[in-house]
Amino acid sequence: MIGDFIDGPLWYFSLTVFLLGVAWRVIAILRLGVAQDLSEARNSGSGGALLTLFSRSLPRRPVVTRGRVQLVAGYMFHLGLFALLFLAQPHVEFISQRITGFGWASLPHWGFIFVSEIAFAGLLLLILYRLMNPVTRLISDAGDYTASLLVFLVMLTGCLALAQTYEALRLLHLLLAELLLIYFPFSTLMHAFTFAISRGYTGAAMARRGVNA
Amino acid sequence: MVKMNDRIENAREELRSQIDAKVLSYFSSCVHCGLCAEACHFHVETGDPRYTPIYKLEPMRKLWRREHTFSGRLSRLLGRSSDLSERDFADWEELVYDSCNLCGRCSMVCPVGIDIAYMLRKQREAFNISGYAPEGMKKALQRTLDTGSPMGVSLKTLKATLVHVEKASGLKIPVDRKDAEYMALFSSMEVVNFPGYIESVARIFHAAGISWTISSEAFEATNAGIQIGSREGAKEIVSRVVDTAEKLGVKYLISPECGHAYTAIRWEGPNLIGRRYRFEVIHILELLDQLQREGRLKLNGRSDTPMTLHDPCQIVRRGGVIEPPRNLLHQVASGFVETTDHGTMNWCCGGGGGVSANERAEALRLKVFGRKKKQFEESGVDTVITACANCRIILEEGLEHFEMDTQVIGLTELVAEYLEQSE
Amino acid sequence: MYRPVQDTVFSRLLPFIIVLLMVIGGGVSAQNLEEGIQVPNPGADLWREVRKRQPVPSPSLQLPMNQATGVNLWSEMRQTNLAPVGSTQIKSVDSSMLINPFGDQWRRFRTEQLVPYGGYAVGTMLLLLVLFYLIRGRVPIHAGPSDKRLPRYTVYERMIHWFTASIFLFLALTGLTMLFGRSLLIPLMGADAFSLLASASKEGHNLFGPLFLLALALVFFRFVRRNIYQRGDLTWLLRGGGLIGSKHVPSNFFNMGEKSMFWMLVLIGGVTAVSGVMLLFPILGLGREMMALSHVAHGITAIVMTLVIIGHIYIGSVGMEGALEGMTTGYCDLNWAREHHDWWAEQCVERGEVVSVEAAAEAEGFTEGAPKHNPLGEAGK
Repeated sequence: MIGDFIDGPLWYFSLTVFLLGVAWRVIAILRLGVAQDLSEARNSGSGGALLTLFSRSLPRRPVVTRGRVQLVAGYMFHLGLFALLFLAQPHVEFISQRITGFGWASLPHWGFIFVSEIAFAGLLLLILYRLMNPVTRLISDAGDYTASLLVFLVMLTGCLALAQTYEALRLLHLLLAELLLIYFPFSTLMHAFTFAISRGYTGAAMARRGVNA
Repeated sequence: MVKMNDRIENAREELRSQIDAKVLSYFSSCVHCGLCAEACHFHVETGDPRYTPIYKLEPMRKLWRREHTFSGRLSRLLGRSSDLSERDFADWEELVYDSCNLCGRCSMVCPVGIDIAYMLRKQREAFNISGYAPEGMKKALQRTLDTGSPMGVSLKTLKATLVHVEKASGLKIPVDRKDAEYMALFSSMEVVNFPGYIESVARIFHAAGISWTISSEAFEATNAGIQIGSREGAKEIVSRVVDTAEKLGVKYLISPECGHAYTAIRWEGPNLIGRRYRFEVIHILELLDQLQREGRLKLNGRSDTPMTLHDPCQIVRRGGVIEPPRNLLHQVASGFVETTDHGTMNWCCGGGGGVSANERAEALRLKVFGRKKKQFEESGVDTVITACANCRIILEEGLEHFEMDTQVIGLTELVAEYLEQSE
Repeated sequence: MYRPVQDTVFSRLLPFIIVLLMVIGGGVSAQNLEEGIQVPNPGADLWREVRKRQPVPSPSLQLPMNQATGVNLWSEMRQTNLAPVGSTQIKSVDSSMLINPFGDQWRRFRTEQLVPYGGYAVGTMLLLLVLFYLIRGRVPIHAGPSDKRLPRYTVYERMIHWFTASIFLFLALTGLTMLFGRSLLIPLMGADAFSLLASASKEGHNLFGPLFLLALALVFFRFVRRNIYQRGDLTWLLRGGGLIGSKHVPSNFFNMGEKSMFWMLVLIGGVTAVSGVMLLFPILGLGREMMALSHVAHGITAIVMTLVIIGHIYIGSVGMEGALEGMTTGYCDLNWAREHHDWWAEQCVERGEVVSVEAAAEAEGFTEGAPKHNPLGEAGK
């Protein structure tokens, strides 16, 4: 009975909250607008926005030297997470059945395990870094820890349900994923969408000044 | 006291109005990764996590959270969050003013592209209104508004300096010329400490056949309003220059070797006065580089002394004048080597953003100069070239504090040394 | 020949390896046939061998002739002899082993020895520690906590320690669930619920297992230099590290107890990890004996490591005052350092690394707000 709830109404509810919430926040940001810049631009802002959108993913020297742990663990986590989210067979099936109506080629099982391990290692190291590093210890708040923990729990319950045999384990994983979807628009996880906006704005402003930021 | 409460309320209002789409996107994207700290000389040199750049924006972040996020608004509704108090402004003053040069190095490394320096400049507008700003910076602004110069350099003082320059160069400095193509500005720091800049400019312009002038009504480039965060003050200072330049009908306005002057006139100015200029702004280095490439500025000879370049933050990283200083230096120095972190990633001298006018911050400023010290030691050279009079004086002070033998030379002055002598 | 049931696996180690080598290296032993068929036909050879052989009644078994033949045929098939009697066309691992007689040994080892003795060991360890705490109590810092701190572990070191710790705890929990679950948990939660738990534990255990190898590697490379034997370590060990009695025993950054723990973690824990990986990937060409051996090694070393870590956790948390802070805040109390790692503490003091509690808190991000302007003019330290 609770399984029907998790598979049915709660799924639709969480998906709706997620989509509406993300859209709401993105629109709220863009709607506020920025004052027009009357200074003479050196280069096109839109070109700069596009450049910085991608170039910020390439670390600068201070990050490579002094931020190495976060660079490595950060990419391990994010790349591993995207791979397992969108290329793991159970997820591809889920998305195909419930969202898109079509699927795509997925990783072999050992590939799934491999990227999951990378994602887990990355996330664990990042959580520990946040706890141990004085800078992140000072500036992190409850939202940061909640988001990390929730993502970790979703991943963990997914791992526990890997045998794909027990409904209860699958439902637990789905339940936590739905909670994550509901929590998403109200949290720091919004950076997954807003990072493009912030990178774009900064890239545009700097490009107008003639700097590739 | 009612008056103080008004000020804090006004400060809150100001901070509120400073939040635009950029600020919203920045705070929404910040995941508190702390990488900005690794690019900031204040944190790197002291190891203190409280100098993390995004932490300096706590007041603004609190306001954003309270008014622009669901959880913040919910807390407000439930009466569980408090508004920005006077205590917040008092507590954060030192972080906002003593430990930030607005150098923008943090903005370059943030993985989600947050322009922290942009936001801190905005936050200072609110702090200025609250009254919680350093005395030295307040005085500098007041002096500029009253006398035209943050250091109190009057027209008389300038004219006296010009007399010396004319005697040394044998050239006349045009003042209030009506048909000039270029109008030049000076920073008070140059007039007082580095008049050699003025002489160099005179000689170069004469050699290149530039028709130029300065204005007796508005010769000051330094904008103390930008630094403390007073857009009213900044607007007033910029307007003086813009009105005069347009009155004189010049085609170009030359921004001198002063970092924040360039930011003020080139990038913030039109937005402060609300309209475009009827002239173009060109930095002295851009002009020299252009003249040299066009062949109008002929140089002869090179120094073989090993030297390196200190990039003034507001001119290079925040200003976009990246290649001209290098092109020029290559022309006159065969022993030019870049520091490891150079160009848009060079380290700040520590004196920008008004910190040099802030006596309370001197000890901290000298401590974080250790970063420049290490940088220069690593480069293995004893001569540093720079193109900002404020950087020059700060570098000299820092080098003296650490008892280093390094020499600091202004770029324009160096270029002028190698002017081709016409018999 | 008939082998006694009570043989343990340990006495089989050498023959296992020999058999393994022979099986792996083994080829076809072409036997020349009397009837002139030139094509080697081992199957036919075996059959003729068996039919030719006279039944040898064993002293204890007075069986009629055809039954004795069956017994011997069965003995041959069971390959209780050392020499492999047959071989097959399929040259894959274990393909010439029809029935694995050692599987039963292995199963009995697990249910009759590993599970009960392992369980007793873990239970005894816990009991001993509880008793120790009740009798000796928390070992205090004799000079009392000071207001001075020494930097002990960097951010990275603390990270990899807790990384290893959390992975180990998870692996231990899931592993112990799988080992003891049938005996301890099924009575509590029923078979259905336990099967779910066991499945979850297996998946979790298998996924996180290789991460433990990564963690071990990180810990090894970071800490190995401080764990090399130094002069004074043996003395420390002989004097019980001061745990028994209260005499002050000097030590370097790591005392002999910690060094022993490190090497046990790396060596014994390494066997756990490597054998675990072998168990995860049966496609690596390992035969049944090797897999069984891996499991045995995995189980025994895992129990040993669980015991060691239980002790480690006890000492680091409840057992000793001042022990935990180094690994959480990065700083340790100066008096604690003097009492437990005297020689290291002296070096730190000489290098001027002593800081006040306030400075340590500031450096570690526990203090909020702006750094107060130092009235003496020298900002910060």
